[in-house]
Amino acid sequence: MAKRLPVEEAIAQLVPAGAVVAVGGMHATAAPMALVRELVRQEVRISRLVPSPSSSLQVDLLIGAGLVEELVCSYVGFEDLGLAPCFRRAAESGTVDVLECDEGGLTHALYAGAAGLPFVALPPGIGQTDIPRASPLLYREVADPFTGHVGWAVRALRPDVALIACSEADEEGNVAFGRMPFTDRLLALAARRLVVQVEQVVATDRIAAHEPGTTLPAFLVSAVVVAPGGCRPTASPGWYERDEDELRAYVQAAATDEGLAELLAQIRGRREVTTGVVAG
Amino acid sequence: MTAAYSTTDVMAVALARELRDGEVVVMGAVPALPLLACRLARSLHAPSLQYVVGGSGTVNPQLPVLTTQSCDPRLTGGPCALPLPEVVMLEGRGDVFDVFCAGGLQIDARGNCNLVCVGDRDRPELRGPGSVGLPFLTAVQRVVAHSLSHTPRTFVERVHFVSGSGERTALVVTPLACLDKDPETSRLRLASVHPGVSVADVQAQTGFELVVPPAVPETPPPTDAELAELRRLDPTGVLAA
Repeated sequence: MAKRLPVEEAIAQLVPAGAVVAVGGMHATAAPMALVRELVRQEVRISRLVPSPSSSLQVDLLIGAGLVEELVCSYVGFEDLGLAPCFRRAAESGTVDVLECDEGGLTHALYAGAAGLPFVALPPGIGQTDIPRASPLLYREVADPFTGHVGWAVRALRPDVALIACSEADEEGNVAFGRMPFTDRLLALAARRLVVQVEQVVATDRIAAHEPGTTLPAFLVSAVVVAPGGCRPTASPGWYERDEDELRAYVQAAATDEGLAELLAQIRGRREVTTGVVAG
Repeated sequence: MTAAYSTTDVMAVALARELRDGEVVVMGAVPALPLLACRLARSLHAPSLQYVVGGSGTVNPQLPVLTTQSCDPRLTGGPCALPLPEVVMLEGRGDVFDVFCAGGLQIDARGNCNLVCVGDRDRPELRGPGSVGLPFLTAVQRVVAHSLSHTPRTFVERVHFVSGSGERTALVVTPLACLDKDPETSRLRLASVHPGVSVADVQAQTGFELVVPPAVPETPPPTDAELAELRRLDPTGVLAA
């Protein structure tokens, strides 16, 4: 498969320094950690990071590695396991620019990016919050051309490259999600290029057996990285659950500069396993 | 005789009693308590209640044990699931979901919720995770909020950032009390105090002046039937942990 690349090459070829990078995974599920750790190893600077509406480790680690200039932020946290330590420290000390947003605004902005719309006029409600006035780069007032009613619009987001985790790919580069695609399909559709991390490579008829709406065609996929277990310690639907102990250990360790330095050194000292078994 | 119960049992039951048969509920991150309340309501008094769990978009998931994660892969057990972008679309319509289960780092006198920051947003004392779905609090009929901490730091006169409007806040359940909205002033009112808690205790732990009616009832403790169902739905005691 021409699109199948080792993780080192996929990141080096498709994620240039200073890019606008989208990264998938919701809460502690389906974060493309093999790709994210390689960004850390190659120290790829990200001008704007566009995560899914609820992100956790994938975003916290990139911020902790000092790679993120600006974050589009709907939610970064570890749910029941606590706040995101590196994001918290960076936001509190002003070392990352936080572009405040919300789940609805971000989802519609990605939809606009995917559909070639310049912006989307949002449903009412957002104007009763402090979000749009805090983020004029994303939200502006707009008059409905039909009624004259003034509301808020969100600007399209069109990331340079999206990094997501899927369940499997075929030799051509068609990919299939597990049962929970979240907003990762929107990230994929909105981005100019797409790198997909998968658990395994399968025959095309296995991809074809997935329901419509849970696959992406090879023509949208720039590279496939086979990384069995590559979402760990987050979950991969249909494959494994989150590693709660490791996530807890991360939240605790990354809360101090020394702990974080040790975590980053461990990542830099290892390589990803990206030579997965090719299933029938 | 009523069996022993915990504060989280009282909270779960108070939330469940607020939910009505036929309603459609949507909830966000850290869903354990609202998820348990929805399941309890469905088995006791609201058999046709439907609920959507957070980012997973799963409808009425049936789990052998309670989960603390809104995107837990085990949540795929429900009869159907909406992809998250479709949940967002339907929230925007404003006529699909009846109840939003919310929370916040801060909740204020008017029921506004804040998940963004304590202090100034540009240089916060405490940076929270972000607003996620809270702007949709005005897209439902009633907001039912809960907080696992009831202190003057959590319950403030005015939130430092409005993530979600308090306009439709109907009930706030805390470890000390149930608060509702005073129709006269649109401020939070002490609706009931949990067993063993006094009105003065609640006011002392609240950073704004609560509306206090002349007589404040006690939150009715969980019944034996409610407790038995809670133990069945959370057999491993996830909520207490």
